[in-house]
Amino acid sequence: MNSLSLLELNSLVRKTIEQALPQEYWVEAELSECHESRGHCYMELIQKDELTATPVAKASAKCWASKWTIIRPYFERTTGQQLHAGMKVLLKVYAQFHEAYGFSWIVTDIDPTYTLGDMARKRQEIIRQLKVEGIFDLQKELRLPLFCQRIAVISSQTAAGYGDFCNQLANNPYGFQFRTQLFPATMQGEQVEQSIIAALEKIYTAPPTAPEGASLPAKRFSQSNVAPSGAEGGAYAFDCVVIIRGGGAKSDMSGFDTLALAENVAQFPLPIITGIGHDRDECILDMVSHLRVKTPTAAAALLIDHLKGVLDVLDDSQARITHYAQQRISTLNAQLSTLTESIPLLLSRCLMEKNHRLELLSEKVKLLDPTLLLRRGYSITLYKGRTLRDPKLLSKGDEIETRVEKGTIKSIIT
Amino acid sequence: MKEEMKYEQAYAELQTIVHRMENDELDIDQMGEQLKRAQQLIKLCKDKLTKTDEEIKKILAEK
Repeated sequence: MNSLSLLELNSLVRKTIEQALPQEYWVEAELSECHESRGHCYMELIQKDELTATPVAKASAKCWASKWTIIRPYFERTTGQQLHAGMKVLLKVYAQFHEAYGFSWIVTDIDPTYTLGDMARKRQEIIRQLKVEGIFDLQKELRLPLFCQRIAVISSQTAAGYGDFCNQLANNPYGFQFRTQLFPATMQGEQVEQSIIAALEKIYTAPPTAPEGASLPAKRFSQSNVAPSGAEGGAYAFDCVVIIRGGGAKSDMSGFDTLALAENVAQFPLPIITGIGHDRDECILDMVSHLRVKTPTAAAALLIDHLKGVLDVLDDSQARITHYAQQRISTLNAQLSTLTESIPLLLSRCLMEKNHRLELLSEKVKLLDPTLLLRRGYSITLYKGRTLRDPKLLSKGDEIETRVEKGTIKSIIT
Repeated sequence: MKEEMKYEQAYAELQTIVHRMENDELDIDQMGEQLKRAQQLIKLCKDKLTKTDEEIKKILAEK
């Protein structure tokens, strides 16, 4: 029986493949694994059934260092991401069968725009999902508390951005007091999602500090049906959450675009401000957060401005009530002095009027003076001291008095 | 939350006083009292903005 050595058989396979598949092909595939070794890039490609997600094709692929050093920077610059598992890629490949190492596709080019398109599709899908769940805009409905001073910060501990943020808050020109607490998280790579979610969880359950000094009677506010274990009655230890990441605008943002992270952020009961420094407009974390700014320092500026707004209203209130009080007092004073001034005038007018009437009266009285009548030759007859008007009232022997101009005549009735 | 509510309430009360004053809803007898109250509220809120919790505790303890 004729038999072949394995090498001979494999050589046959190699020759067959080289003859049958002489060209290069563009292939769409998903990466199920990807790692670099000694400058070469090793990938595992997979195609899944669209409905059941079970693999229907698998293959290994390699990109030799000579190509990889050219392809990689271009790919990462265009997509803002490193090749990683789960990513959809469009690869230019040719077939290679090596007698000792088996079959592999050799990658000679990668088209980053395909991956970009796929990422955009995935983002759209996540956004659609969030809207279906009705949570896309939840953060927008929250309000930063007026006295937003207890800040929970999610950042990597070593990031320069975190230091900038804290410095800017501490050195604000108005003397506002902020209390920041860091909840460290990985802000790069595949750990982003889980580590930010874990940090949010810690913030959610952080016990609020004991109320200080004299306070209003305790009220219970039910923010959500499920009270966090450490925070009684929906009271939180913080006023808002700031997620920041310093510099490196070209770094990997894919970790910020996951459904689970978006869901956690969207439904978080405290307003979340993002300042994760990137050029893209369509980061999902930014979309679902309460407010987004570009950089950590911009986040600090926003918080300072927010308090400045409150301070401005206080100053304005102060000015308005002072102005009002002054105006009110001066109005009252003016009214008072008008009154004071008008009193002598009123008084003299009143006196004059009385005087006038008195004069009129005295004129009248003068006209009525009986001596004037006597002087003109009239006389007045008195009986028992009273003016006599009717002779029938008199009887014999009664004494009457008659007044004339120059004296009195006494007479007896006969 | 309670503590924060306290300051938010103070802020809201201040707004109400300013509003009532500017709409001449206060007579002269109430005015003095409301002015005093407004000043207290402003101080309370400003202290909250610019003083640490420890400093605020001290201020409250002095009263």
